[in-house]
Amino acid sequence: MSVEAAMVESLDYRLSPLPVRDDLAAAQKRAWARLAAPGEWWSGAVRIAIAEETRAAETCGFCRERKAALSPYAVTGAHETATDLPEVLVETVHRIRTDPGRLTRRFYEEALAGGLSDAEYVETVGVMATVIAIDSFCDAMGLPRHSLPAPLAGEPRRRRPAGAKEGLAWVPTVAPEDLTEAEAGMYDGLSAVNIHRALSLVPAEVVGFFDMDSVHYLPDGQLRDYGTEYRALTHAQTEFLAGRVSVINRCVY
Amino acid sequence: MLLRESGRHTGDDYDLAAMAAGDGTGGGVAAAAALTAYADSFYEEGRAGFAAARDRLHAEIGGEALVDAAGVLAIFNAVVRVADATGIPLEEQKAAMSADFRGALGINDYPAAAGKV
Repeated sequence: MSVEAAMVESLDYRLSPLPVRDDLAAAQKRAWARLAAPGEWWSGAVRIAIAEETRAAETCGFCRERKAALSPYAVTGAHETATDLPEVLVETVHRIRTDPGRLTRRFYEEALAGGLSDAEYVETVGVMATVIAIDSFCDAMGLPRHSLPAPLAGEPRRRRPAGAKEGLAWVPTVAPEDLTEAEAGMYDGLSAVNIHRALSLVPAEVVGFFDMDSVHYLPDGQLRDYGTEYRALTHAQTEFLAGRVSVINRCVY
Repeated sequence: MLLRESGRHTGDDYDLAAMAAGDGTGGGVAAAAALTAYADSFYEEGRAGFAAARDRLHAEIGGEALVDAAGVLAIFNAVVRVADATGIPLEEQKAAMSADFRGALGINDYPAAAGKV
């Protein structure tokens, strides 16, 4: 097996020309395993299909044409798909992947009108964020992307947080004071600021995504500890790069 | 916003406008021009200049920091989508603290800013 094939198959960076921190590789392995398992609302097979569609969106001609248009609603056409996911899910995945800076509440409401539940939508975003982060890491390192894991059998858990409320975002969210025993650990190690709450309608996506976030970026407790550098990349360099990525994506965060 | 806080701690006055403009002046952050080129070329169609930008950044900050930079770029490529797809707003306090430079840098004009700041 070639070096590239070995890295792709195993989500293993031991053969990377540049050493990848053990905590980074370990977090990505946990995320990859979670991606394949049944979620709260989607089966493992649908989660992997969402991941495949996330990748397919990058080369979708319709998405490219729409991104270039003055308004995403000015262009009609059909997506180039990689799965048999329903149209509403394909549209949701492709728009979020390729044109996030122009998403509006209208887009979210159209996804619901098309048949997605709010929780299915949130889990979709969580799955996408996972695969985008890991694929982007490989791309940013100049390494081949990993093969997606095979989906695991099993049924979704279908548990909705009792304390979820409308109002903060387009999607319902769970405030720390509204946590019940079922999702009590969701914000452990997090300050529960708004970005942490974004996926809270599906608590496992919060836990999983910020498990990755804390090693790719910084753990919450180290973000403002400017007197100590925890990485070879300084706080200032980290924030400069993060800010630049947000600007390029026209994101207020 | 954390970049500005970081600068206050160290006594540096980082130029957020330079970061937002991506004009290569760097804004006072070490290797900022190389970081800018690394991020910008990542998002270019075809990424024709990305390998060269990565090599330049590697030469300026070293391999360990380059891996860190890849991690930051990767996770923020996901974070922006989580934020934009869920319609999560900036916290009121953060919106107030960043009001000056958001206006100056044109961030309030982003389509995704509607209703979030």
